[in-house]
Amino acid sequence: MQHSANAAPAVAPQKSPKASSGTKHFLKMLMKQRTLVLMSVPFVIWLFIFRYLPVWGWTLAFQDYRPGRSFSEQEWVGFKHFAFLFQDDAFYRVMRNTFAMSFINLILGFVLAITLAVLLNELKNIVFKRVVQTISYMPYFLSWVVAASIIMVALSPEEGIVNQVLVGLGIIDKPILWLGEASYFWGIFAASETWKNLGWNTIVYLAAITMIDPAQYEAADIDGANRLQKIWHITLPGMKPVIIVLLILNIGQVLETGFEAQYLLKNPANMDFAETLELFVLRWGINFGNYSFATAAGIFKTVISFSLLFAANSLAKRMGQERLF
Amino acid sequence: MAKKRILLLLLSVVMILTVVTACSGGNNGGNQQGSGNNNPSSNAGGNTGDEEVTQEPVTFTFFNAGASREDVLTSDTDIGALYAEETGVSFQIEHLVGDVQTKIGTMIAGGEYPDVLVADTEIDKVVDAGGFIDLTDLIEEHGPNIKEVYGPYLNLMTDEDGSIYFLPFSPQVGEFVPNPVIDQGAFWIQQRVLKEFDYPEMTTLDEYFDLIRQYAEKYPNEDLTGFTSLTHDWRFFAITNPANHLAGFPNDGAVMVDMETLETDDWHNNEEMKRWMQSLNELYLDGLYDETSFVNNYDQYLAKLTSGKVLGYFDYGWQVNQATQNLRSAGNGDFEYFPLPIVFEEGITDQYIDPPSFIHNRGIGITTSAENPERIIQFFDYLLEEQNQIRNQWGIEGLTYEVDENGRYYRTQEQIEQLRDNQYKQDVGLTYFEYYWPMWSQTSTLSDGNAHSPGRQPEVAQLDFTEAELEALSQYGVNTFSEMFAAPADRPWYPAWSIALEQGSQEQVYEQRREDIVKRYLPRLVLAEEGQFESEWESYLSEFDGLDYTEQYEEYLTTKLKEKVEAISGE
Repeated sequence: MQHSANAAPAVAPQKSPKASSGTKHFLKMLMKQRTLVLMSVPFVIWLFIFRYLPVWGWTLAFQDYRPGRSFSEQEWVGFKHFAFLFQDDAFYRVMRNTFAMSFINLILGFVLAITLAVLLNELKNIVFKRVVQTISYMPYFLSWVVAASIIMVALSPEEGIVNQVLVGLGIIDKPILWLGEASYFWGIFAASETWKNLGWNTIVYLAAITMIDPAQYEAADIDGANRLQKIWHITLPGMKPVIIVLLILNIGQVLETGFEAQYLLKNPANMDFAETLELFVLRWGINFGNYSFATAAGIFKTVISFSLLFAANSLAKRMGQERLF
Repeated sequence: MAKKRILLLLLSVVMILTVVTACSGGNNGGNQQGSGNNNPSSNAGGNTGDEEVTQEPVTFTFFNAGASREDVLTSDTDIGALYAEETGVSFQIEHLVGDVQTKIGTMIAGGEYPDVLVADTEIDKVVDAGGFIDLTDLIEEHGPNIKEVYGPYLNLMTDEDGSIYFLPFSPQVGEFVPNPVIDQGAFWIQQRVLKEFDYPEMTTLDEYFDLIRQYAEKYPNEDLTGFTSLTHDWRFFAITNPANHLAGFPNDGAVMVDMETLETDDWHNNEEMKRWMQSLNELYLDGLYDETSFVNNYDQYLAKLTSGKVLGYFDYGWQVNQATQNLRSAGNGDFEYFPLPIVFEEGITDQYIDPPSFIHNRGIGITTSAENPERIIQFFDYLLEEQNQIRNQWGIEGLTYEVDENGRYYRTQEQIEQLRDNQYKQDVGLTYFEYYWPMWSQTSTLSDGNAHSPGRQPEVAQLDFTEAELEALSQYGVNTFSEMFAAPADRPWYPAWSIALEQGSQEQVYEQRREDIVKRYLPRLVLAEEGQFESEWESYLSEFDGLDYTEQYEEYLTTKLKEKVEAISGE
């Protein structure tokens, strides 16, 4: 113990002076920020264990993995599972659905949430504002299982409120089997997502709005700006950094969106438009006990998400906007 | 897990201490305790090498993927309490909620199982993953009854690697008793339709649908649904299988099997399938087919049948049992359903009733997570004693059944009424014990000649019929429903769906792809607009041909069926 402690300073000076000053600087900073560093250690360990160690499991994708066998007993099959993924006709249908629903989700999520946040912000009546906010974010706390049942009942051709209202208003002359018509599925999905998540999504934008310096509004008042001009020239630009960071993050998750809603609302009649990549993986991977395939699809998803994230980020960088990193 | 075990241990120590103090306090009071007072202090010492069966209370976990019902601690039921008293063993049974493949798949991926597992359709995966322990030695050591009951079937139960991983539910003991009611497939029709037209004789599908059409025409303002189907999740075979049945084949799964050559033929792309789909389509075009069939889940489907608005449907008795029982206890005979053996053409012999069969790819197994498999196998063995088989099926004498002076078992009208109430049946424990345990096949006979299953005892079956059912039966001049149906031909391989496919094999991939196509096309075919059916069928066939593995699949099954027949006759 003592020996090594003595040896360390003796070795250091023998290295090139430049490196030594770098190391010295580093050690000095380390000492200075030791509390911060110590505080972060548990989280780095957590991150390593839960986010990096599992990457070892990617080896599964290149094996015909059988549970209950040791690693050395597994059979290696190269890119077999990737080939299976890309060669299946269903895969392309599933990718189309995934992207379509994700983008619908992304655009509606942004446009409507920002609009609602701005509108709420303009409200002078605090009680009304609170009531609207509460009502709009309540559905977020419903589990999808419950929400899906509500949606199924609402859309039912027999006693569903949607059909009753539409027939009552004379818009359609006989009830429509909404969930039985594949092409309606994206619309139904978008509407239910919006209903469920809109209020919740506005919260972060409302927070962003409160960060805007009130002095800017005062100055605009003096310049004689009206409400719309203030929204356009102060509120929205003030929210821009938040919007862009969220956009970049969400683009990275395009392949992740949508599992529960589609799983619970799909049926043989609308499968063609309802099945997403995650459901596809569930069916061929988990249900089939084919964990290797599920892993291969997982890797594929990670790669796509990564490239989308970087693409969005560098785009933001090139346009001189706020960005993630 | 470890915490739970410690808690259990503590609990058992406390309970044993209570017994000790109770015994020493009450002196002779412990007499009727049976083996319970068999020197409990030695048990507390940790049952050191004593051959005596230990009575230490223990609770095992049991996951049942075969049924969805209320979870239960068996000792909370009347029958389970008896068992807990006699053996100390009780089970915390958890049932399937949601999707069986996901649930079992997650267990396998995590490598953590309940002590005892009924994996239903996913049993091969659990075996494949090494989730079950080999029971061979345990049976040798602790299972005299198991050996006796399952003895004739050991060939079929033994895995390729020579191990026995689970105990199936269908070893025949004694004479074969046919089921007087239909628990298998049938075309069901509402009693009021039969009554309206004076109980006509019906054999063909056209006659069946015509009757429904006529009835609906007669009562246009009642908002009636002519025919509905179950399509949800894995149960969607209820809408496809009629194609096979109508041609005079039993439920062999996805194939028709030639009786002589054992050649198999996947019927999903056959003329029979087309004919069946087209009949449904015609019914749809007449406005009588329930288009919500394709969006309803299982519960919604059952609710629909219970509503009384549906004139007819095809399904398996066991699958609609809940709806049937609810309708019968509601007491409106008009809404009850009557089963009919419908076929395509006059001259085809129906084969709806299952031939006697041993289903060797369903069963109950002990998992690698079980820490005390000896106790479990001892309990299994104990369950197979005749007395306990009677308890599991008949219940408790004086409560759920009676014995007359000739030793025949029967149930009073009152008992039958009571047992129609699902909650009561659960409280007694019959719901939990009558199936999904090591058991004699329900077609068995007890040593005194009574039927093993009360439903098959003529005394009970007759009393169980409702007024409407008795009326219809007498109109057709029969005593039981099964008399309406043809006797099953001898099919030693039956059922073909019990042939296990290898995990990840081409055959399995084929089945999954076929399911995808069939599922996607069902609504397109059945709900095709006027004149569109032919073109939809053409595009269905062309996608089906795209699978390009049908022949190999059929060949594979044929080979396996031949092997199974050899294994059976080779005994």
